[in-house]
Amino acid sequence: MARELDYVMTKKPKSEPEQKSGSLNISGWRQFKAILRKDIVIELRTKEMITSMGLYALLVLVIYYIALSNAGSNFETQRIAAGLLFLAIVFTSMLGLNRSLVHEVDQGCLEALLLSPIDRPIIFFGKAVGNLIFLLIVEVFVTPLFYFIFLSSAKMQNSGPVWMVAIALVVGSIGIAGVGTLLATMSVNTKGKDFMLSVMFIPIMFPLLLAVVAAASQAIMGDPGYVKVFWQMIAAATAYDALMIGASFALYEFILEA
Amino acid sequence: MSDINETEFALEVRDVSRTFGARKALNKVSFDLPKGAFLSIFGPNGAGKTTLLRTLSTLTQPSRGSSAKVLGYDVVKDAVELREHIGIISHNSLLYPDLTAQENLEFFAELYCIEHEQERIDELLTAVGLKHRSLDLVRTFSRGMTQRLSIARALLADPEIIFLDEPYSGLDPHAMDILDQLIAQIRDRHTFVMVSHDLEKGLELCSHALILAKGQVVLFKERKDIDKEEFNKVYRETVGLGVS
Repeated sequence: MARELDYVMTKKPKSEPEQKSGSLNISGWRQFKAILRKDIVIELRTKEMITSMGLYALLVLVIYYIALSNAGSNFETQRIAAGLLFLAIVFTSMLGLNRSLVHEVDQGCLEALLLSPIDRPIIFFGKAVGNLIFLLIVEVFVTPLFYFIFLSSAKMQNSGPVWMVAIALVVGSIGIAGVGTLLATMSVNTKGKDFMLSVMFIPIMFPLLLAVVAAASQAIMGDPGYVKVFWQMIAAATAYDALMIGASFALYEFILEA
Repeated sequence: MSDINETEFALEVRDVSRTFGARKALNKVSFDLPKGAFLSIFGPNGAGKTTLLRTLSTLTQPSRGSSAKVLGYDVVKDAVELREHIGIISHNSLLYPDLTAQENLEFFAELYCIEHEQERIDELLTAVGLKHRSLDLVRTFSRGMTQRLSIARALLADPEIIFLDEPYSGLDPHAMDILDQLIAQIRDRHTFVMVSHDLEKGLELCSHALILAKGQVVLFKERKDIDKEEFNKVYRETVGLGVS
């Protein structure tokens, strides 16, 4: 082993002529893909986030079912369906967001990331896109189940196409994953990280939740003029996503150094 | 950039301070370390050793008025460039337990954008004696094996300076011997900065020694100028000074 390590350290790496000018050929895209692939591989192996998020969402649906079973036959579930759906998704996402940063802190892996020649916003995008993918996977299972349990028997002759609800879910999820990644990074080293994330998450996400719940509600209800209101709400939610993810991008280095 | 290539010092530390609230973790720390040296940093708990190491490795920013250069790179202004030349081995593994040894090294090779990464990974895994375990999850490794993989991770980008944060902590004697061998083999081609509580081990390895107490430099000398008894006496008095 001694001879072999000596060989490794005296042998010049093939890329050394380019490196000796003072830097490696750093590619932000390559680093982004590495972070994303690593998170996906760990999740596929441990299934920690998706399993806990999925089970939690299922539990919330069961509680909804019990509550709505006692609401009487005249209760129009579709009037509050969008709110219930997003409530399940917001609570579920908070579980996943915390988990996504915890395994970075274990064994000092976050420090190893920070010690590598990587721009901090690339870490943010890698983690945020990973969180978005996991959240969308859970939504793919939860949303049809939600429709089946609560809306299949509802009178929805006027409701909009399902893809409109899907758009509201995707726009909402982008904001939840983006801003949530920043907030989870802020809270991960605090004592009550779950509590801290919730305290910061709801007020900051309120404008987005207001817009996407209104958009999804319009699509489900199909009231007169719903298409116009739907797109207005989606535009507002998209603007929120762009603004807040831009701010998260800019602040991420400061948050990590703090 | 010409200064960076020409500097003869691995570390140029001038009046480096760092406060956490009212507490001064580092208080005007100054010293120079030539390239190729092995610096052992000693001191009681809370003396500022880890803060100094974190500052030099760009993880913690020094307070205003401080100036710290590593290999000629300013630790604040040139942090991203400097990180290409730093390796760190800590008592924490800095490895993902749910990835295999191979996947861990692939991940860090991608972060450093290393060319011919598979060849490099194979070389290092062979060198640290873990090639046969390359497809096993790190969580199944013993502490010694994990530390060997940590060394491979730290050497991936062939760094010029290696920071060691209590690397012997938690290792059994056999694993300590292996770590000694690995350090000895790369000793003459790298600069090392090690934080250690183990006076014997630290003095055995170092070319320069530094004692910190209350965030200040109490002693900074070349090893050849150090009388062991006098050093022990200074260290005992330093421990008596308590923390910052």
